[in-house]
Amino acid sequence: MSLSLLSWCLSRGSQCGRRGSALLWVCIILSGLAFPAKGTGATEAPPLAARRFALPQPGRVFTFPADHGSHPEFKIEWWYITGHLVSAEGQRHGFQATFFRRAGVTQPGNPAAGLERPSSLFGTDEFFLAHMAWLDVGTGTFRHEERLNRHGWDARADTRKLEVRNGNWSLKDLGPDAEGKTTLELRGGIQADLRWRMTLKAQKPLVVFGTNGVSRKAQEPSAASHYLTFSRLSVSGDLQRGSKTERVEGEAWMDHELSSSQLGQGQVGWDWACIQFFDGRELMAYRMRRDDGTTDAFSTLAWIGKDGRVTQWGPDRFRWTGEGQWKSPRSGGAYPATVLLSVPEPDGSPGPTLRLEPLCADQELSGGLGGVPYWEGACRVRDAQGNEIGRAFVEMTGYAGNLRRAL
Amino acid sequence: MTEATPQLIQRLLWSRVSWRHARGAPWTTALLVLTLALGVAVYLSIRLANRAAIASFQNFTDVVTAESDGILLAPAGSLPESLLLELRERFADTAVHWVPVIESTAVEPGDGSQGMIGSRTTYTLLGVDWVALPNLARARHPEALPPTGAWTGGPPPAVSNPAVSNPAPHDAELGLRLEDPRRVFVPASVAARLKSPTLRLVIQEQLVELTIAGVIPEAPSQPKAPDNLLLFDLPALQALTGRTGQLDRIEFVLPEGPDRSARAAALRQDLGAWMNGRFLLSSSSDRRDNAATMTRAFRLNLTILSLLALLVGLMLVFQALDGAVVRRREEIAILRSLGVEPERIRRAWLLEAAALGLAGGLLGLLLGWLGAQGAVRGVGQTVNSLYYATAVRSASLDPVESASALALAIVASLLAGGWPARQAANTPPAQLIGRGRAQAGAPAPRWVLPASLILLVLGGALATLPALRLPGGSRISLAAYGSALSWLLGAGLLAGLLPPLLIRRCASWGGFSAPARLGLSHLRQPTGRHRLAIAGLVCAVAMTAGMAILVGSFDTTLRGWIERTFMADLYVSSEGAQSASTQNRIRPETWKALVAEPEVLAANVVQALELQLPGGSTLLFGGHPAFMRDQARIAWREAPADDAIWDARRNRGLALASESFSHRFRLHRGDTLTLPTPAGPRPITLVGIFSDYGNERGSLVIQREHFAEWFGDELATSLIVKLHDSDQAEAIRARWKAAHPGLAVYTQPHLRGEALRIFRQTFAITDALELIGIAVSVLGLGFTLASLLWERRNDLTTLRALGFRHSEIAWATTLESVLTALVGIGGGLVASLALGWLLIHRVNVQTFGWTLETDPPWGWMAGLSLAVVTMAALTGWSIGRWGAALPAEREE
Repeated sequence: MSLSLLSWCLSRGSQCGRRGSALLWVCIILSGLAFPAKGTGATEAPPLAARRFALPQPGRVFTFPADHGSHPEFKIEWWYITGHLVSAEGQRHGFQATFFRRAGVTQPGNPAAGLERPSSLFGTDEFFLAHMAWLDVGTGTFRHEERLNRHGWDARADTRKLEVRNGNWSLKDLGPDAEGKTTLELRGGIQADLRWRMTLKAQKPLVVFGTNGVSRKAQEPSAASHYLTFSRLSVSGDLQRGSKTERVEGEAWMDHELSSSQLGQGQVGWDWACIQFFDGRELMAYRMRRDDGTTDAFSTLAWIGKDGRVTQWGPDRFRWTGEGQWKSPRSGGAYPATVLLSVPEPDGSPGPTLRLEPLCADQELSGGLGGVPYWEGACRVRDAQGNEIGRAFVEMTGYAGNLRRAL
Repeated sequence: MTEATPQLIQRLLWSRVSWRHARGAPWTTALLVLTLALGVAVYLSIRLANRAAIASFQNFTDVVTAESDGILLAPAGSLPESLLLELRERFADTAVHWVPVIESTAVEPGDGSQGMIGSRTTYTLLGVDWVALPNLARARHPEALPPTGAWTGGPPPAVSNPAVSNPAPHDAELGLRLEDPRRVFVPASVAARLKSPTLRLVIQEQLVELTIAGVIPEAPSQPKAPDNLLLFDLPALQALTGRTGQLDRIEFVLPEGPDRSARAAALRQDLGAWMNGRFLLSSSSDRRDNAATMTRAFRLNLTILSLLALLVGLMLVFQALDGAVVRRREEIAILRSLGVEPERIRRAWLLEAAALGLAGGLLGLLLGWLGAQGAVRGVGQTVNSLYYATAVRSASLDPVESASALALAIVASLLAGGWPARQAANTPPAQLIGRGRAQAGAPAPRWVLPASLILLVLGGALATLPALRLPGGSRISLAAYGSALSWLLGAGLLAGLLPPLLIRRCASWGGFSAPARLGLSHLRQPTGRHRLAIAGLVCAVAMTAGMAILVGSFDTTLRGWIERTFMADLYVSSEGAQSASTQNRIRPETWKALVAEPEVLAANVVQALELQLPGGSTLLFGGHPAFMRDQARIAWREAPADDAIWDARRNRGLALASESFSHRFRLHRGDTLTLPTPAGPRPITLVGIFSDYGNERGSLVIQREHFAEWFGDELATSLIVKLHDSDQAEAIRARWKAAHPGLAVYTQPHLRGEALRIFRQTFAITDALELIGIAVSVLGLGFTLASLLWERRNDLTTLRALGFRHSEIAWATTLESVLTALVGIGGGLVASLALGWLLIHRVNVQTFGWTLETDPPWGWMAGLSLAVVTMAALTGWSIGRWGAALPAEREE
């Protein structure tokens, strides 16, 4: 069996924090870099670097627009956008656009003995993976494409501001608009017949998840990230399907996460969801699944109030369960057909059980390039009475075979 | 009683006449079939070998991209890789994958001796971005390529050779594969024969030990990886070849989807507008066409030669069928007297000819395929030496070529059988009365002399016409070939008129020898068959000797050129420089170190690259004109009028051109042209035209320093060195070779020998054609004599009754045979001089642009004549013995 770059990366150990999505690929992160934790306290500062890469530091002061950009000192970084759109003709769509950056194996510009310094346009110091996915809810058509490039002429990420590109897919910070809102431009597409160009405007302030700016994923102190999110972005743009161009509008969620670490021992997969309620609030939850079927203690749920205020809870305060089953005809993976999420209210009082229903059952990304399939799809959110109260995106990994074994 | 339908009569004619005779004379039938098969085999083997050599040209990138939608090339030299940034920026909204490619060549190191150039397999090194390859696969053929890991992360697919099928654990592979430029993917065939997981190669002029990273994956939708392809990560190959920052081409691949061809057309149009002439837009098929165009003249020459062999073979069929008509005249007369219509008899003969053609053609297919396996090496070596790298080893039996060869055999047999069939149909029943009477000698028909003269004059007129110019710059001397055919036919016809004139003059030679008088008497008034045999010999001898005159003149010219050109002491190149298409060059640090050696008196650092001009591709050399003047004796076609070209400070914008270049682009001294360079277009003026036999595409020579400046390239193709002490050449060669094992260092005598050897190798294929021509023509003579003796069998009975012994009859036949051969040889030799002139001064100059000294190989021609006469004598004697034993009234 031929294994992919992704699976190679994974084999080095797997990180995967909440954005486990940040996937497998992220997991690239090299078990070789693991080192024993010196303590377990959530606020304990880890060493500055695992080998030569930085680790998230508590109390980090972020500077923008530079911190929206690339951080080569970290091993892994991703910009992850998911959203729901409606076309001018009333058709509903879901989309995903993800740009990953992963440091190379050695330092850049290290020529082999006796040879010229390698070209900077074909770098080995960083690799860029990108996923694009599109769901046409009306027809139930789900399409996706992935792309891997090395740092250089066809893929790169700017360190001074958000400007990341992979082939002809790109995400760029256009700077604040007249109202001071962060404005981004996303260009993407799938194969030749589906292309989009969208403008995204942050409708709420940037959120930094975690404690003191550090989001922990596992017991090991190195298993952490800086986790920055625009929980609600307005989207408007053009969708080109073949020769036809349609106007689309909607809302999106964007994560930007930087890390250098890995999955913890005993973790076998993760589930993640982001919800945008019609009432202006948002919710983010991830559950790290352990090999004994339990939820890992480093799982998290966070409410983002209308005013942008964040309240976070540990796994003892929420419950993630699956209902029914959808079996992938391609990978054979058996995923929960519906997610039931019992959450506390932001003030800590018992809250509702949310029902996250996929808009289309088959939203599995085949992982052809990475070799590990996962499910990431658009969902509607209903309350206990069956009323639709919001929109969500759900990610589920480790269902198509044994992720650990694949790693 | 069954009524005799036309079909029944035709079947009866076939079974009772044609087929019965074929069975009755199996050896004659077999010989005829074999002769025809030989002609077809020569034609087919040449065609198959040509086809294999052309098919071996491959756009190697197709192995990993399938066929791309287009290719961007520099008109000369490399593309700067920064062009990728421009493309990405300019076509940011276009769904297209740009595939940068770098290509080079390498060989496995030799044993340190000077060795034969071109004797080792040249590998093509292809550098593509391993990381991005899976994107392509998903864009075009999601099912086609294995997952990313096959290129970047995973272990190589298993091969039967354990040396390379047990890679390091895959989790260590990615880094190694991308970080270590010495990692390479190889074809399964290479992996299978390796004894270790490493491969030592000479890349540029350096010995490099490569580690096998894996086996090139194969997919049904992609072309199979050729056995000489090695696949590198692009930046790795750039670093290994010292060409960081350079690309050889950028291919582009559009994702599958609706309107793909329309999208491709639109992109090509946009690219064309954007490039504004800076680059060339090509395609895989264009590149294949270009390879076909490059070798078109060479292949056509071979095809025409093979057709000549077929022509000679057909004359034999003609003679044989004609002889059969003679032998079976009585039978035909009986059929006529029984009421069989002439038309039916004609059809029966044509059917017999067609059957002969079919049998000969089928056997020819087999022999042709076998011959192609031998010819393909010769053709492949020539293509390798002169045009592009090919590792072609075998030729497959192409259905189209096979069908055309078979059709050619049948049609040609019908043509050859046409006249005998008409003769048969016109045989009056009265022939029965005169059975056994030999065909009487008669004066040649009146039309023969004027026709032969008209053919000779027509040939002369055709010889004055220019070559046909084809797209891509190649030229074909169609008119000159027409001229050769006219002259051959004219000379053949004319020579048939000579025997009576000659015999009359030497009537007294017979003296009192009865056999001699008998032999001479048959030629005093020769039959049409004599004339035919003479024409066949004239054609065969003229063709063979004409080729020999060309080859001999070429040999003489080339030896002179080699002596004048190779006058320096040492010639240095990469050891990988094994063919015309070799891209192995010498790094500047190496050649600069050698030039600085104290033993070096002067050195010419030569750089070269392929140049695309509006009229076709050619070669541009950077060198030192002053060194050429001082260290070689240039043969000028048009000598420089002033001294500026020799002075590096004054020769910017000046160039010398080879004669081939001058002919090809119709440019002469004083003319100007524009060189496309990465630094922009550069006007240059031709100041001299020199003789050169190195290639047919033409060469331009400019001062090396200007070359390096305009093309940003310092890699040298070769280094020509004059030593202070020429006697030290061998010692210095050994020392340099020891210090630089990746260099090939040749002494002057060795290189001269190699140049001659390669030249002679390219002509080796003509030897086989010559032999076949001669053998077939002598066989034809034998058939003619056999027919004549058969006709005369009653005369022979009478002669025996008069006391002639069998040996005396054989002597008479031998004399007749030898005299016929002598007339044919004489005519053939005269015609060969004309043919030689045509090949040297028209075909060669028009097709290749090479002026040769005329130097007929007189000794060889005398030997050829002697051989033909000897064979004719032996044939005459054997047939005479056979004829002498024929019964007077034997039913065949």
